Amino acid sequence: MRPVGLALVFSCVLFAQYRLYTCVMNSKNYVVGAKLPPSGLFFEPPGGGWTHAGFDHPYIAALDYDPRDPSTLYLAAGNGLIRTSDHGRSSWRILTGDDVTELRDLAVDRNAPGTIYFAHTAGIRVSRDGGNTWQAADSGIRRKYTESIRVDRTRSGRLVAGTEEGLFSSQDGGRSWRLAGAAGFQIMHVEQSPTDACTWLAVTQQGGAFRSSDCGLTFENLGRVGVHRNLYDIAFDPAAPGRIALAGFGPGVVVTEDGGRTWQPRNHGLPRADVWSVAFDPAHPGRLYASVHEEALYVSEDAGLNWRKEGLEGSVVYRMLFVPEEAGR
Amino acid sequence: MKRLLLWLLLIAPLAAAQPPFAERARSAIEFYAHRPNGGYEGIAARLYLHQDPAWCSRRLQELLAAGPSGDMFWMFPVTAIAYLDRGQLTPAARRALRRAWKTYMPYRGDTENHWVMYYASLYLMAQLWPHEPGTEWYTGKSSEENLREARHWIESWVTLTTTRGQGEYDSPHYMAMYLIPVSFLAAWAEEPAMKKRASMMLEYLLADYAAECLDGLYVGAHSRVYERQLVEKWANVSSDFGWVLFGVGRPLEPVSAYMMYYLVGAGAGAEPPEILRHIASDRSRPYTHYERKRTRNRWRFYDELHGPVYKTTYVRHEYAVGSDQGGVLQPIQQHSWDVTWWLPDPRGVQNTFFTIQPYSSLRELQTYFTFGPDAGVEGVVQSKPTYDSPDKLLGGSPYEKILQDQDTLIALYDIPPGTRFPQVNGFFSKDLAEVREDPSGWIFLRGGEALIACRPLEPYSWKPIVQGGRRLFSPYLRNGVVVQVAAASEFTGMDAFRRAILALPLEFRLDPVPTVRFRSLRGRQLAFTWGQTPTVDGRPLDYAHWPLFGGPFLESAVDSGRLVLKYGRQRRVLDFPSLTVRDEQAP
Repeated sequence: MRPVGLALVFSCVLFAQYRLYTCVMNSKNYVVGAKLPPSGLFFEPPGGGWTHAGFDHPYIAALDYDPRDPSTLYLAAGNGLIRTSDHGRSSWRILTGDDVTELRDLAVDRNAPGTIYFAHTAGIRVSRDGGNTWQAADSGIRRKYTESIRVDRTRSGRLVAGTEEGLFSSQDGGRSWRLAGAAGFQIMHVEQSPTDACTWLAVTQQGGAFRSSDCGLTFENLGRVGVHRNLYDIAFDPAAPGRIALAGFGPGVVVTEDGGRTWQPRNHGLPRADVWSVAFDPAHPGRLYASVHEEALYVSEDAGLNWRKEGLEGSVVYRMLFVPEEAGR
Repeated sequence: MKRLLLWLLLIAPLAAAQPPFAERARSAIEFYAHRPNGGYEGIAARLYLHQDPAWCSRRLQELLAAGPSGDMFWMFPVTAIAYLDRGQLTPAARRALRRAWKTYMPYRGDTENHWVMYYASLYLMAQLWPHEPGTEWYTGKSSEENLREARHWIESWVTLTTTRGQGEYDSPHYMAMYLIPVSFLAAWAEEPAMKKRASMMLEYLLADYAAECLDGLYVGAHSRVYERQLVEKWANVSSDFGWVLFGVGRPLEPVSAYMMYYLVGAGAGAEPPEILRHIASDRSRPYTHYERKRTRNRWRFYDELHGPVYKTTYVRHEYAVGSDQGGVLQPIQQHSWDVTWWLPDPRGVQNTFFTIQPYSSLRELQTYFTFGPDAGVEGVVQSKPTYDSPDKLLGGSPYEKILQDQDTLIALYDIPPGTRFPQVNGFFSKDLAEVREDPSGWIFLRGGEALIACRPLEPYSWKPIVQGGRRLFSPYLRNGVVVQVAAASEFTGMDAFRRAILALPLEFRLDPVPTVRFRSLRGRQLAFTWGQTPTVDGRPLDYAHWPLFGGPFLESAVDSGRLVLKYGRQRRVLDFPSLTVRDEQAP
């Protein structure tokens, strides 16, 4: 039995060029075997109103897309790694077998689209053939539990993974790894800056945020932000290179406008400062989404200074991702 | 209500004579077949009995139209219905059932019983509907791919269990979630190897229970148990299996649907071999039984996915004493040690005694689950409110270490400063017949025909328990209890027992860590220091050679894949590597 008390919903807002998918579970007091309110992959079509795409599933932790066909999505789910087409509305297939469970994150290599990495309870796996076969890719990492993984969008095979013992980097597609920083901290998430490929950020359980300015090779602590609290997500604003938002329990939404030198809480209008995920809309500068724990999805048009409710009430969105409508973005 | 009364009438005269197995089994199935407005369990029971197929079809379509839910707890009931159909369901009902396996994606879950139910069900449904493409399955995989994946997991689980022990071991509730799907496989798998493997595994699981069965009560340390059933031993699902399968104890009132599902799956093969009935019921001689199990999957904080669990269980007609080695071996619902006393009618009785350190932590939850740091404890408390409560009585603690030798037990506690609930809690039942706090520091108890001596090593006070009984509360960081149990028949009375206990040499100190030396009532010299390997008569406990099963009834070496059931000169050998069963007579 797995008491979760949270919900995963993927929602999606259709804009001119991007579609927002959100991943959250939509249930309080859910335990395995109980009746599950609609949860899984959701999107909001142009006319508004959230649409549930595909199956109900209580555990979808993250998603990514195929850059050759962004309507093809990959989901890191409790049942394994799932591929689905038509924006999640059809052709669901679990690509993994009985040997992995409870996936935590995934990343598709933008420069080798058939190469997919996922992080799971027992390490990291890679497929180099579009998900037909999988191999372990965590050699050199002693404690395998991996919460987050990202592949450098500018260089195939360059990876950063967040494990239970810190950040690790690989330059060879996961064949070998070396400690990159945040040693001893459980990593909650890793992201690469969309405007500077050598800037990476990671957030942790209790240890605050860590930054890399050397393309993910090393990470250093970013100061007091989030220390002794738990940070869950990172959002870079593609339209404003110095603007970054972090989500956490306690801090809520914190935003920097100067690349991380100073941080301001931006929770005015949010019902509580317990936030799972944040995402900037690449098509609307300053538009920021935030998932407030078991409350709703909120949106701000001014980078978090003011908020309004944007549906998905009662849910918890674990992860959000803007996916381009067309290939090549 | 009328059916419930009939059921009660059937079980009322249990103490006098048990009805034969076939009657017990049929009564359990009929109870569910005759309940009005039944759910999936009513359909399964009626189909088994070939009763009211029109209702079965109609009800099945209603339930499926309302939307499947329950994940693997939905999968196994509808798998049973699909196999019990045997031409009784209408084509429309059958189509609805088939469609559900395309349109509903059950979650595979996060623990061993989930996975057994999930994969056994998927295996059987893929077998039932072969040669279908992935577009017809929620997995997106073809029937053959589903079958292959399910077969692989089931084979791996059987191998791991029969060589290294079960991970979710000896749960008096979740035992049903193993027995049901395995009984389905034994009944309905068409591949001879799978059928054989499952039928052997059924015996294996039942033997595991039988050796720790005290008149139907599942005694000894448990991986998982619920709070009421922790103290009211009879209220566990294991009571149904003891009564129906072995004719011991008293069933739940009414018998659980789990029992019914097991019976409709196992069918004609539901009655276990005679040797298992003997193992479950013969308590003419006291014995010590040993088991090695595994921890649940430890995702974080450990180098090894599974750690060993060393169990010791002493059983005699009057009582049982059971334990593991202490520590957090399972999350949330672990029960490490207790004394359970036998009663002719245990219904509603809290027939147990134990102590714990009430430990709760994010670390425990993150070891075994994928919880984020803010969802862990809060999430657990939503469904298990006492998990993070100072008065709780359930759960393992890293600060508890246990030594047991026969019916003597020493539990030591070394609790770091700053621990959330820095105390020892002891459960003293409302149903103890006698409680004497002796000036010597010993507490003498009588439960049923068991005499229990308990020596807390530090001062304590009493706190009431809402559901009845008292909680011993001892707020000292270095602490412990010494427990010696004996049968009332061994002494002329409590005074004689007291004198015998006070005559036993006991030395202890608490600094720098708790240490006890005690000569047991059975004449054994026990020496135990927290964090060190205990010794009995000067010899360290041999954890390295702890058997998978050891004792007068069961024998299995770690990694052997071979279990020997023993009773008198009878031997029944379950050899999993060769998938053979051999009955022999010992010389």
